[in-house]
Amino acid sequence: MHIRKYDFNYSRRMFMEKTLKGIASAGVLAPMWPLIANGADISKAYPDELLSIEMYTKGKIKPGDFITAANVDVVKDLLDPISYMQVKEMGRRIEIVESVKDASVLFPNAFLEATLKNQGKAEIGADGNIYAPGKKAWIGGLPFPDPKTGEEVIANITLSWGRHDYCQYAIRQWDIAPDGSEAYQYDFVWAELQATGRLDGTVFQNKADMLRFQSVWFTAPNDIGGTAFLSSWHYDQNKFPDLYGYLPAFKRVRQFPTNQRFEPLVPGVTWFLSDAWAAGDPMLTWGNYKIVGRQPMLGAVAGNFSGSKKNWEAGTHGGPKGKTFWDSKMQLVPECIVLEAEPTGYPRSPVGKKRIWIDTRNQLFVAYNTFDRRGDVWKSFEAGWSRYEDGGTVIKDANGNPDWSWTYLHSHDVQSNRMSRIMHTESCSGGYKSELSAGSDDVYNKFMTTTAIQRLGT
Amino acid sequence: MDLQSMKFAKSAVVAVIAAMSGNALADGGFGNLNFSGFLRFESAYKLGGDENPFNQGGNLFNGVAVERSGGIPPSEVGLFNDVETRQVAETDNDFNLMYVRGRLDLGYKISSNFNLIGSVRAIFDPVIYDEFNPRQVDSQACCNFYQEPNYFEYAIEGGGRANPMEWAGRDYMVDIPTLYVDYQNGPLLIRAGNQQIAWGQALFFRVLDVPNGLDFRRHSILDFASEEYSDKRVPALGLRVSYQLSESWELDSFAQKFQSTIYSNANTPYNVIASQFTVRDYYDDYSDKINYGARIRGSIGDFGVQAIYAYRYNPDGVFRWTKSDVNRGLPGELPNVIPGLTDNLGNILQGVVDLLGGSIPATGAILAQTPFEVDPTGVHSAEEWFTYAAMARLDAREGLNASIEDFPATALLLAQPVDSDEAARRELDLFFQLSGGLRGHIERQYFRERVFGLGTSYVVLGEPGSFLDQLIINLEATYVPDRKFTNITLGQKFIEHDEWTTALVMEKYHRFTQAFPATYFVFQYMHKSESDIFGRHLSGFGATPEESISTTGGIDHGSNYLVLAFQQPFPSLVWRADFAALYDAEGGLLLQPAVRWKPNGNFTVEAFYNYIDTVSGNPNSNALSSAEWADELALRVSYQF
Repeated sequence: MHIRKYDFNYSRRMFMEKTLKGIASAGVLAPMWPLIANGADISKAYPDELLSIEMYTKGKIKPGDFITAANVDVVKDLLDPISYMQVKEMGRRIEIVESVKDASVLFPNAFLEATLKNQGKAEIGADGNIYAPGKKAWIGGLPFPDPKTGEEVIANITLSWGRHDYCQYAIRQWDIAPDGSEAYQYDFVWAELQATGRLDGTVFQNKADMLRFQSVWFTAPNDIGGTAFLSSWHYDQNKFPDLYGYLPAFKRVRQFPTNQRFEPLVPGVTWFLSDAWAAGDPMLTWGNYKIVGRQPMLGAVAGNFSGSKKNWEAGTHGGPKGKTFWDSKMQLVPECIVLEAEPTGYPRSPVGKKRIWIDTRNQLFVAYNTFDRRGDVWKSFEAGWSRYEDGGTVIKDANGNPDWSWTYLHSHDVQSNRMSRIMHTESCSGGYKSELSAGSDDVYNKFMTTTAIQRLGT
Repeated sequence: MDLQSMKFAKSAVVAVIAAMSGNALADGGFGNLNFSGFLRFESAYKLGGDENPFNQGGNLFNGVAVERSGGIPPSEVGLFNDVETRQVAETDNDFNLMYVRGRLDLGYKISSNFNLIGSVRAIFDPVIYDEFNPRQVDSQACCNFYQEPNYFEYAIEGGGRANPMEWAGRDYMVDIPTLYVDYQNGPLLIRAGNQQIAWGQALFFRVLDVPNGLDFRRHSILDFASEEYSDKRVPALGLRVSYQLSESWELDSFAQKFQSTIYSNANTPYNVIASQFTVRDYYDDYSDKINYGARIRGSIGDFGVQAIYAYRYNPDGVFRWTKSDVNRGLPGELPNVIPGLTDNLGNILQGVVDLLGGSIPATGAILAQTPFEVDPTGVHSAEEWFTYAAMARLDAREGLNASIEDFPATALLLAQPVDSDEAARRELDLFFQLSGGLRGHIERQYFRERVFGLGTSYVVLGEPGSFLDQLIINLEATYVPDRKFTNITLGQKFIEHDEWTTALVMEKYHRFTQAFPATYFVFQYMHKSESDIFGRHLSGFGATPEESISTTGGIDHGSNYLVLAFQQPFPSLVWRADFAALYDAEGGLLLQPAVRWKPNGNFTVEAFYNYIDTVSGNPNSNALSSAEWADELALRVSYQF
């Protein structure tokens, strides 16, 4: 425990000052990233009240407690407005756990290693893209672990969504109607293959002009099953991805317009392609990136893997029928960057602005809200993250370390009061399993070509 | 079956299949076997009073008194006058369609390289229709399905099933539209089994989409437009090999059993072949034939390109007169003795029959060598002949001549070629007076052709948010040398001509308002140099009931079609509004507004209205008037599991 050298509001004043002066380094008592580089313990970077929910709330809430409608006002300033409303009005309960001090649990091990290895090597080119020395494509890890601008913040998320060279998520989604019923249920697989920005130090098949290949294919229910899309992302973030799709109605792969990224893909769904990873679009198709604040937050940044449960599916609660929310664990995140951006490349977008709360430790979002063109809050896209270890179930990476990924998503359209409740599961209909590594599998030819989506479509 | 029962049934099926496959579902997850399906009620309620005129019950001449004037061929002089009323009872249907459809889709992951995909489709039609009743007119019309209507069986000469993966009866069909094994190894994909193959970017316009024919038995072309031909393309056993040459280049090839396009049977709701014809389909002679094709697709700079080649049997086939082989003589001791039929005519014909050494019934042996069959379900007057020839895009006068010149036995009945519409009418009326109705027998044959195709695409990058931004433009064209078409005379020699088919396709999403998701638009234009959208040669377009195509002349400038379609999802996609319009530059218009409601994951309701009309010009000059009678509101209610 630190000596209470600073009063309770020191952190708040410090965050305000950093924001106003544009000082970007994370950490209140000391710069945080050198600590991470030097063993990952961030305790010395923050005062106790930013690492202990009990101290922050002056004893009103402790690890093991649940945030409920009865006590949520105590942590109102630690939640985005929609999460607060979910707890206050919809019966959501959030379990509070200890804050992690070891930042390494917030990353896949290889990604953190690449981040540390490559720190300081990234720069933003005249065209707005991120380059490694020699104007080469980025070489893996966070390009800007201690970002100084909004562009650097969003680049950290955009350049590697899943933080693995290959991710394959078997996903199950339930779309909750305003009456709390499970109106729709979809199974699909979402796969990401990094072409550049890879952790293995290579450029995939010399495709240096590409950032990633990403495909999604629905496996259930019957009327959607067989729908498959392949999105090939150019490295140039000014360009829209190339989009090819297989729709069962057409029985063939066709090219699709790709700039409509704010449309519901299937009935009942609340998220758009643009919402993926809070950075679903090429970063330079958005603009007016601004760091508008820094603050502590409650975030589901660790301990959310339900590996001991059937198909890794967490329990549900809340809402009119007890099915609206995943059971989740949040902890006090000492410092988040609050980033705002506008869809400048999409003048007809229904979204007028997005606000993202980004954990300075791993540069991932703990909360993400979008606002409509009138400025009213519209949707929340909240993710849970975790090392993949739960009880006796441990999913390990190639080096034997516990692996890491997202675990759940809440996509909540508060204007229509529809919720998409999404789970990263062990497997989904169609026999597909989640993978965080390609291993020896030829995933490019299996999932990332037009021939592949012809096969995935039925 | 209630929902509880269906859930139970699903569980039971899963358990049985899992047990049979030896692959119990993985504990805590999903196994290698998965299945799903749906049950769907489909109906089409008639909003207009018209029956399908190509059916007996909708024949335009039923109950209509028609003046006939028979003459001695090839004279234009009418000698034998009478008034004929076609006796087939007019049908009166409230529904064009009503049936229940089920589908079960199965997927089995054999290994990381092998997958098995299959599906079973089943349809039951309770036949609530006011059907044509052949007994009402004592019809003895020969051959399959010209008596009691048959809604699903596809009759071919020689018997047997045209499709080894299909079993059908009068009111049901069960088939396996999909059953294949995928083998994937690196960039190589081999798909072996029963499958559909579709090519091209154009929707509805089948320019590069040449591998498979279409099946019109299930709501013809009037089904839900947003599904394009997914339920219509005829699957076939075959091998498809695809190879991803590079990130942007792909080679695709197939060898597939030839399966023909399937038309609705006579006297079923969406029949398009006049039911006074008897079709003798010789598909069986071609059932062992193999179609081949290859396509390469990729990009050059900002342009997408593709090229195809197919060496195939044209699945639509071609038709021509054929011997009826029906030995049924002219009726009565003296043929069709009716007021106005003079002794002279009776004497002349009697003389012919005497020459044959027989009596009047012996004309049956002659008729059997001609394309005609005596039956009250046939044509009864020259007016009916001319009217239906125009509707079928055939030449009334030369069609008669071809039936005479190509079948010498007709001379034994004193039939002679004519050189005017008037003479044709006199001759036709004479034989209809004598016969009491003649059916025409036509045979369907198939021919190989080579299809060469090219396509290119370009994505317009405009000002963000502008109407042109992200507009995808595709241009597709095929060239078929020496393509064979049905002769508009139904003569033995088919029309043979090179054909070009070209299409321009433009599609994009555009947001008009923040309150609604983007609207998806498709605009298409197609030009065919020789035939209409259904493959009928344009030289037969433009006749009238009064004048044959020999008099009016056909269309010689090709056919042109425009499509404008859009989909407008509502927020959350629970509702979606669709609209499709197809315009034939000769004046035909098909409109299909539709709405789709998906209140939850299990149920989907789709309603659409089919409106077809000739908005300008001669109905027989445009392709769409063939379904102009079908003014209907269709409703589909699906439950998926």
